[in-house]
Amino acid sequence: MRAIQDLRRDEKDAQLLRSRSGVIFFFLLILIVLGVFKILQLTVLDRVNYEAESDKNRIINIPIYPARGLITLEDGTLIAENIVTKDLYIKTKLYENSIDQVEQLHDKVLDENRKIDQLQVPIQDEEKIWLARNLSEQELAKYEVQKNSIPNVQLEAKLRRYLPHKNLFSHVIGHLGLINMDERLSLSRAEYPDDSFIGKVGLEKSYEKTLRGKAGISLMEVDVYGNKIREINRVSPDKPFNLTLTLDLRLQKIAQEELANRRGAVVALEPATGFIKALVSSPDYNPNILNGSESGSLVSQSSLEDSPFFNRAISGLYPPASTIKPFIGLLGLEEELITESTIIEDKGFFQLKEEGRKYRGWKEDGHGRVDLKKAIVESSDVYFYELASKLTIDRISSFLLRFGFGEISGIDLINESKSILPTRNWKLGNIGEAWFVGDTINIGIGQGYISSTPLQLAVSLSAIANKGKIFRPKLIRNNQLDAYEPELLMEVQIENPRHWNIIEKSMISVIDSWNGTAHNLYEEGGITIAGKTGTAQIKSLTDQDLTVREEYEGIRKDIKNRDHALFASYGPVPDPNLVVVVIVENGESGSAVAAPIAKRLIEQYQININES
Amino acid sequence: MSNRNPLDYSINKPLVTSFNPFRYLFKDIILVLALIAVLVFGLAMLYSSSGQSFLMVMRQSIYVFAGLIMMIFISHLKPDSYKNILMHSYWIGLLLLIYVLFNPAEGYTTSRWIDIGFFQFQPSEIIRLILPLSIVAYLHRKESNIRLEDWLYTTLAALMCSYLVFEQPDLGTSIIVFTSGIIPIYLAGLPYRVIAAYVGILAIVSPFIWSSLLDYQKQRVLTYFDSNVDPLGDGWNIAQSQTAIGSGGFFGKGYLEGTQSQLNFIPESHSDFIFSVIGEEFGLLGITCLFIVYGMIIWRIFKIGLSAQSPFERIACCSLGFIFLLFILINVSMVIGIIPVVGVPLPLISQGGTSIVVHLLAFGVILSAKRPQL
Repeated sequence: MRAIQDLRRDEKDAQLLRSRSGVIFFFLLILIVLGVFKILQLTVLDRVNYEAESDKNRIINIPIYPARGLITLEDGTLIAENIVTKDLYIKTKLYENSIDQVEQLHDKVLDENRKIDQLQVPIQDEEKIWLARNLSEQELAKYEVQKNSIPNVQLEAKLRRYLPHKNLFSHVIGHLGLINMDERLSLSRAEYPDDSFIGKVGLEKSYEKTLRGKAGISLMEVDVYGNKIREINRVSPDKPFNLTLTLDLRLQKIAQEELANRRGAVVALEPATGFIKALVSSPDYNPNILNGSESGSLVSQSSLEDSPFFNRAISGLYPPASTIKPFIGLLGLEEELITESTIIEDKGFFQLKEEGRKYRGWKEDGHGRVDLKKAIVESSDVYFYELASKLTIDRISSFLLRFGFGEISGIDLINESKSILPTRNWKLGNIGEAWFVGDTINIGIGQGYISSTPLQLAVSLSAIANKGKIFRPKLIRNNQLDAYEPELLMEVQIENPRHWNIIEKSMISVIDSWNGTAHNLYEEGGITIAGKTGTAQIKSLTDQDLTVREEYEGIRKDIKNRDHALFASYGPVPDPNLVVVVIVENGESGSAVAAPIAKRLIEQYQININES
Repeated sequence: MSNRNPLDYSINKPLVTSFNPFRYLFKDIILVLALIAVLVFGLAMLYSSSGQSFLMVMRQSIYVFAGLIMMIFISHLKPDSYKNILMHSYWIGLLLLIYVLFNPAEGYTTSRWIDIGFFQFQPSEIIRLILPLSIVAYLHRKESNIRLEDWLYTTLAALMCSYLVFEQPDLGTSIIVFTSGIIPIYLAGLPYRVIAAYVGILAIVSPFIWSSLLDYQKQRVLTYFDSNVDPLGDGWNIAQSQTAIGSGGFFGKGYLEGTQSQLNFIPESHSDFIFSVIGEEFGLLGITCLFIVYGMIIWRIFKIGLSAQSPFERIACCSLGFIFLLFILINVSMVIGIIPVVGVPLPLISQGGTSIVVHLLAFGVILSAKRPQL
């Protein structure tokens, strides 16, 4: 009450103060109104946007990649695993300004030999330039000392694919590589970021999905500096499956050892199942180098010109040569053009007509009187020239087709070549000429237009070993979830099953008889092997009408013009458990070069089976 | 009893029955309780916004406690007894502003801080409240009317402080210092002809002032018009603080649950930008409650001011009331992005001992204007 009375005493002053306060308040009111509207806009109208913005700020998605599936053999031997490697990189943005740091890295950290083979062209993806992969312990120690003076060079630890057996399984397992533009098109960046490795060839490629699994996602809360605070949510990755191979380590080793870096291939499979026991192509390479898990040389210097990346076992096309004779013989029996005892006179050459072109056999003087067995045992060309000319190409190719000639076998590897089984139409379409009888005669000894891959030859031969059944060749025994069961691909039905035995006996005699082409394999009391040698001609003597001696003196001085040595076999008879096809390019002699490899494999496999 | 004079009754009765030690001590219970509420809330928000630093809260509590004691002490003084001290404290403030230009604390790009060993403070924080009080004290140092030259002196005093702050350089604060000096001059009755003269002079010199601004000061002004100018500078700060308040919505994310503040997305979240933490964690509801309490404080200031006895008390209270309101408005407007970023803390809440103590001293002056109620 007194305060009001005081004011009244000084009414003029009070009036002034009130009116001036009003003026100031008016100005402040503008700010108040603006502020209230803005706060309402933020918290009510645009709330949803700001909530999203706030979450976007703090939550990042970090993909979790599961470690790549392991590959083992049935006995548990590791064939492909993952190891931690340490790599050095520099952010692409920083590279230009950090040349001195990179130089310092070369001088003080990295090994001398690295400069030459790895650093000239740094491997580059979008964000990072990789300066050195897979540091050695020494390099790592040096890096720890130097790292403060080269701050732009950073270390990254990664899981990388490692094959403990290095080259041994290179053509089966294959290797990984940085994802490329083509692969990018069909794969999301979430699953495959730019610096990810992807299977390029071999099982790594054909089982990429199985081996990789599916990336999970970790929702991470981060602070303004990008430090991870806590995990909000996690979608676990789908773990990849491990693969178990059908291969046999010892057979694989023997095959590699025997081929000894010569150009060639070995395929060994179990006829009753189609499971592959050995698949070697030589020369080979070290996939670990490409996987970034090892440093060193990718291929041996000597093999550089011999296409070490080419998988001869599944992609190499070779004339089946004399190894086709058992099939032709079987067809002859089936068509009743010959019997077991049909005899022809082999004078060293075959002529369709008097005075016609001479198709020479490999033995200049001929084999004399020859029946089917002797024709196979001594590998008489003349016998099969005559038989083929009677059979005609139509019957030959439709019969061989039933054995898988001219087909791909459907093995679970990429790049399998389709072997060639010529027909009249095939020649018209591919060569542009009509079929001549001469072409058929060449087919009779597995030369001419026909060609096979070692794998296909092994698959076809398994029909003889199985008396008709052909199983799809398989490399995978199981994938952790399912066992891969043998898959019957086709069954060759013949009129008279006894014919199987006639052919088999002849093939056994190739080794057992004193006159067999592979009699060098024979050993008293040893296991019974059925086989057929082959000598695939590159410069065909049939075409050039030369004698064998003339050939050797001329053309064959050049190693590359020499014949390929083949041996197709299975054993032990009567219950064969291994079909082996060996090809040694320019190896000249099927019996001397290729056959012993096959024998060692079959023998070793018996030991393995008895052990287990 | 029945024939007693009603007036005697009304005078005598409160004397006996309503003596209240709290009312005696605090003089204005509503104001003091509202202040304490804001201060305690401020400490809680400081804990949340400082990355849950107990140490920082302890430090601040000491200033709060000391400030409250000093406030109560001053509130029991007679304004006439400290009017002269207030008037001359201007020179202390001026000296500090000059001192800071020559002896700034190390580690800053600008000369705003004074380092006296165990703590640092900004003299501009002090001058903001010293200046208006010393101006009121100067204008009302005598009972007689204010002379024309007094207006000029006080205006120059405000300009001088403003210029020294501008030299630090700190454009925003220099404007605020000038405003807090001009408010009491205006409220004390600055004649309109003088105002007209000021406006005329300003119109002539303003182009020169703009051309003398540093790039960084121009930048600050420009940021206001386009928050995309520098996404990682002030514009980014404002965008983050808007995101914090907007994502708080109506109820907020909960105490200590604000992701923007707890994950350090809000720059200076414990000092100038603490309002965005309040908005994020307590939402529109929390903001409204805070404004209601602030409103009660301002209502009590004007209630005391308008019923005070002397012109000094009246002008001082009203000036402080407006300045208090102005600081709140400037801080909030800056945080929500309707004015450029300036260095004004949220009164009584933001981290900073000097600011808290000086504000509480000012509230002591306000409370002393209230007659003791016996």
